[in-house]
Amino acid sequence: MSPSDLVLGRVSEGVREPHPGRTTIDREPDYLHDEHTLRSWLGSTDHKRIGILYLLSITFFFIIGACAAGLIRLSLVVPNGQIFSNDTYNKLFTIHGVVMVWFFLIPSIPATFGNFIMPIMIGAKDVAFPRLNRTSWYIFMTGAFFTLFTVVVGGVDTGWTFYAPFSTTFSNTWVVPALIGVIVVGFSSILTGLNFIVTIHTMRAPGMTWFRMPIFVWTMYATSLIFLLATPVITIALILLVMERAFHIGVFDPALGGDPVLFEHLFWFYSHPAVYIMVLPGMGVISEIVPAFAQKKLFGYRFVAYASIGLASLTFFVWGHHMFVNGESETSAVVFSVLSFAVAVPSAVKVYNWTATIYKGSLKLDTPMLYAMGYIGLFVVGGLTGLFLATLAVDEHVHDTYFVVAHFHYIMVGGTALAFLGGLHYWWPKFTGRMYPEALGRLSAFFIFIGFNTTFFPQFLLGYLGMPRRYHNYPPEFQLLNILSSAGSVVLALGYLFPMFYLTWSLRYGKRAPANPWNAKGLEWTTSSPPPKHNFETPPTVDFEPYDYIAREDRV
Amino acid sequence: MSGTVAHLNTGPTAEVGLEREEHFTTDGQQIHAAKFGLWCWLLTELLLFAGLFLTALVLRIMHPQAVTEVAKHLKFWIGATNTAVLIVSSFTMSGAIELSRLGWQRGMVRCMLATAALGSLFLVLKGYEYYEDWDEHMMPFLSSRPYVLTQDPSSRLFTDLYYITTGLHGLHLLTGVSILLVMTWMASRPGFLGRRQNRIEIFGLYWHFIDLIWIIVFPVLYVLNR
Amino acid sequence: MNGQSPGPSDYPLLLWPQAASADAVQSDHLIWSFTLLTLVLTVPIFLSIAWFAFHFRAGKEAHRQYSDKRSRLLEVSWMLIPFLLTLGFFYWGAKLFDRHKHAPANALRIEAIGRQWMWKFQHPGGQAEINDLHVPTGQPILINMISQDVIHALYLPALRIQMETLPGRYTQLWFKADKPGVYRLYCSEYCGTDHSKMDGLLTIMTPTDYSNWLRRSGNSTSLASQGKMLFSSYGCAGCHDQGSVVRAPSLAGLFGSPVPLEAGGTLIAGDGYIRDKILYPDHNLIAGYKQVMPSFKGVVQEGDLVLLTAYIKSLPAPGAAGSTPGPEKTQ
Repeated sequence: MSPSDLVLGRVSEGVREPHPGRTTIDREPDYLHDEHTLRSWLGSTDHKRIGILYLLSITFFFIIGACAAGLIRLSLVVPNGQIFSNDTYNKLFTIHGVVMVWFFLIPSIPATFGNFIMPIMIGAKDVAFPRLNRTSWYIFMTGAFFTLFTVVVGGVDTGWTFYAPFSTTFSNTWVVPALIGVIVVGFSSILTGLNFIVTIHTMRAPGMTWFRMPIFVWTMYATSLIFLLATPVITIALILLVMERAFHIGVFDPALGGDPVLFEHLFWFYSHPAVYIMVLPGMGVISEIVPAFAQKKLFGYRFVAYASIGLASLTFFVWGHHMFVNGESETSAVVFSVLSFAVAVPSAVKVYNWTATIYKGSLKLDTPMLYAMGYIGLFVVGGLTGLFLATLAVDEHVHDTYFVVAHFHYIMVGGTALAFLGGLHYWWPKFTGRMYPEALGRLSAFFIFIGFNTTFFPQFLLGYLGMPRRYHNYPPEFQLLNILSSAGSVVLALGYLFPMFYLTWSLRYGKRAPANPWNAKGLEWTTSSPPPKHNFETPPTVDFEPYDYIAREDRV
Repeated sequence: MSGTVAHLNTGPTAEVGLEREEHFTTDGQQIHAAKFGLWCWLLTELLLFAGLFLTALVLRIMHPQAVTEVAKHLKFWIGATNTAVLIVSSFTMSGAIELSRLGWQRGMVRCMLATAALGSLFLVLKGYEYYEDWDEHMMPFLSSRPYVLTQDPSSRLFTDLYYITTGLHGLHLLTGVSILLVMTWMASRPGFLGRRQNRIEIFGLYWHFIDLIWIIVFPVLYVLNR
Repeated sequence: MNGQSPGPSDYPLLLWPQAASADAVQSDHLIWSFTLLTLVLTVPIFLSIAWFAFHFRAGKEAHRQYSDKRSRLLEVSWMLIPFLLTLGFFYWGAKLFDRHKHAPANALRIEAIGRQWMWKFQHPGGQAEINDLHVPTGQPILINMISQDVIHALYLPALRIQMETLPGRYTQLWFKADKPGVYRLYCSEYCGTDHSKMDGLLTIMTPTDYSNWLRRSGNSTSLASQGKMLFSSYGCAGCHDQGSVVRAPSLAGLFGSPVPLEAGGTLIAGDGYIRDKILYPDHNLIAGYKQVMPSFKGVVQEGDLVLLTAYIKSLPAPGAAGSTPGPEKTQ
């Protein structure tokens, strides 16, 4: 397929400095040390600073969502729901869902690594529309403000799915501000996606052809397509909810002449692709980490690139699998079922190709690689349980039970969150110019993996036993498994807290990072750590293939 | 694009060009990025409306009777006039773009003002149409004025969709007119075409898009169901 | 749940739910086989990742020479073979699902109404129960349900089946239980404050026990008779009874028969059709009749609609014995 990479793989001199001297005077200051005022951060149009702003804001939201999750697990230790009132519990899982989905998972990798790394990977000075990029973050924070307002004044209890007519007519909580928060954040996603697509199309460095782009860039492209094509549909659906709730313009409530199933269609037309907004970037991150730590070319590069675009396209045709038991016609159920099975193919391609990349590599099991391996394991389990759910007769039993909860947490935590943490450790030296403590990093990966499985594996059993989601009054026979799950969540929480502390610690006391600590390939490792304000000392010209790790016999 | 064109007496020509931003390497790259970005935005906007169109069409297939009943109450001729108004406004906008390429600033500003006037005319006509609807008790969400087709639940859904679709389109048009007026004010100052000519082109795309949406709205809501 | 209701109170670690019907056992077979297949497909991958990680770790001597040649055939086969294997399970699942979609004609019909936050079940003889459901073994049971407010879902884990309960639209599920016992039923679609208390007990009994239970539950007025009373009290009889002055369509034998429409085409008169006709008579006009019926929207409650439908259903067609519910064409 691609020409052998033994001969190529040299960047023109003057770009690749293995250890750029940090003391030379004629270098321009890097993006972190350029200016220090708060104003210089909040007014910055530099994609790297905006990426860091996103990193801070989604970390904040992750903490909120995780606290809600902790309280949910606390409540579920006892079967009779004595710890919180029913309404409080409902508000907790709603906040957990809304915050984690729209304010952590969806922006997590695209808005942070996508903003920071992607333009450097293609050798651009910045994204195509830097001011729009800054605006996206402000829009994000506006949506965040509405959501926080909702939490502070008393919460919302519709579940993150906002199903009508409950959300439009029957709920007595702050539904409209919550909806506005999500609508506004949707615009932030749309603008980010638009910016990325235009950047990838128009800002590539000379020589950076489509098939020289790292897979991470490909997944960013695929994700941005979903941002552009799916987000407006939920925007309109939520606008219709607001219209119905505030002005009684009935579209969904049968009492106002509407149709509740219509909302389910519009909602899942976005929210299924949204899962791939969460998954694809994770796949991109893993496709960067695995070759770097195996020191070997990514196996089947083109296949993986096509699989990313294929997934992004297929994901638009499976939304009906969320509605097998709402009386949808048998024909459409069967069609959506078989299409959902088809999604497994591109996903499987990636897993096989990562495995084949490791084969005959030269492996270093550092923290990012541990996260990546954890990711592969959890993603496979999550994906295959997705196939169970796509099987009609199985879904008739486990739809809306803890089986579903376990399945999508395997995808979202096992997929997105682990990839996010893996990528965070992988690019941390590039972001900050500092190394994190390796031993603690490995420990955190281990804790998260163990804690996660202890938390969520019992939920597969609970689901098959028939414990419905969103219940905190549950039959006493389910208590043991719930206690096990809650115990696991404590370990998981520890695993999350670790990186927060030692990464913060490393900002000040960590070892100074060289330009390329992992001996990895790709343009982002050819510039200094942290990168200069315009990413490169001299604009790069690309004359090498992606992942041109040198294969050497019996490399030691 | 411009080529050699005989000068008409529309005043002196200005220089046409753009100011390059520092993160682009060539003018062409900046122009391409801006155009491409707007196309992406229009794609998103199209999908925003697509959900509404699709719902309306599905409703038409499932409840033909109810939908035709509502369509009888829609003001076909106002809709048709409005379609014509917008099509003409697209012509004037294209004129503005063409003149901006030639650097004929004064003519361009006039064309832009004409476009804004036609857009406003559309909004006025639409407002009058809403008033007529209100008069006919065609607003099911107003409890003070009982809905005229109360018997038929699916007709109510179609009516509500009509308001949401036309309202959303009206909002886009209002935004378009506002941007256009601000831009006209900026474009009337000397030197604008030398630095920002491509903004006229970009805005033109947006304006044609609003027009296109109406050209879909009109048949889907008014014509198909008669 | 707080000990008021007798029920399954075994507290050991549960790992597998009880199955109360043959179809539930089928579903279990399906998921077991599928699990087995996924293990066959994934365990090798996990083992090889672990082995490669150990064997090819940096600093260890290993044979690392590989050619750049790639086998298309191998790659296509490792994509397609697992996919085709899983498609077998798609087919199996779809077949079972298809069975669950078509209720046998002789099914015993139970009417269910969901509302925040309780279930109401009504047996054909008029016996009503709240949150709990008693059904006999050995006979197909068809539950016809509707919601009075938000979306609910009736979930019967012991039968591995559930169905959403929508406002303004009937949905149905059916099963044939064969293991007597007490099982749980839930609302599985989130519906607000007391969603997690909208559960009850499903008691499956032998046919003898069931008929005894029906007798004990009193209420000798069947649904159809209750509907007949309503039919008079709402004044329906004034037009629709034989020999009335107003020429309204006769309702005898209406249920399950095709109705010619003014606009052309026909509709099969199922539950949804009758309900809609009572609430919105102007909708779907019937060929050959002038529409003079007033709308009963806001007048007749959801529960009464069920009774009226039951009565209309009980009216035999002129010169026919009983009718079978045809396939329903809801809007």
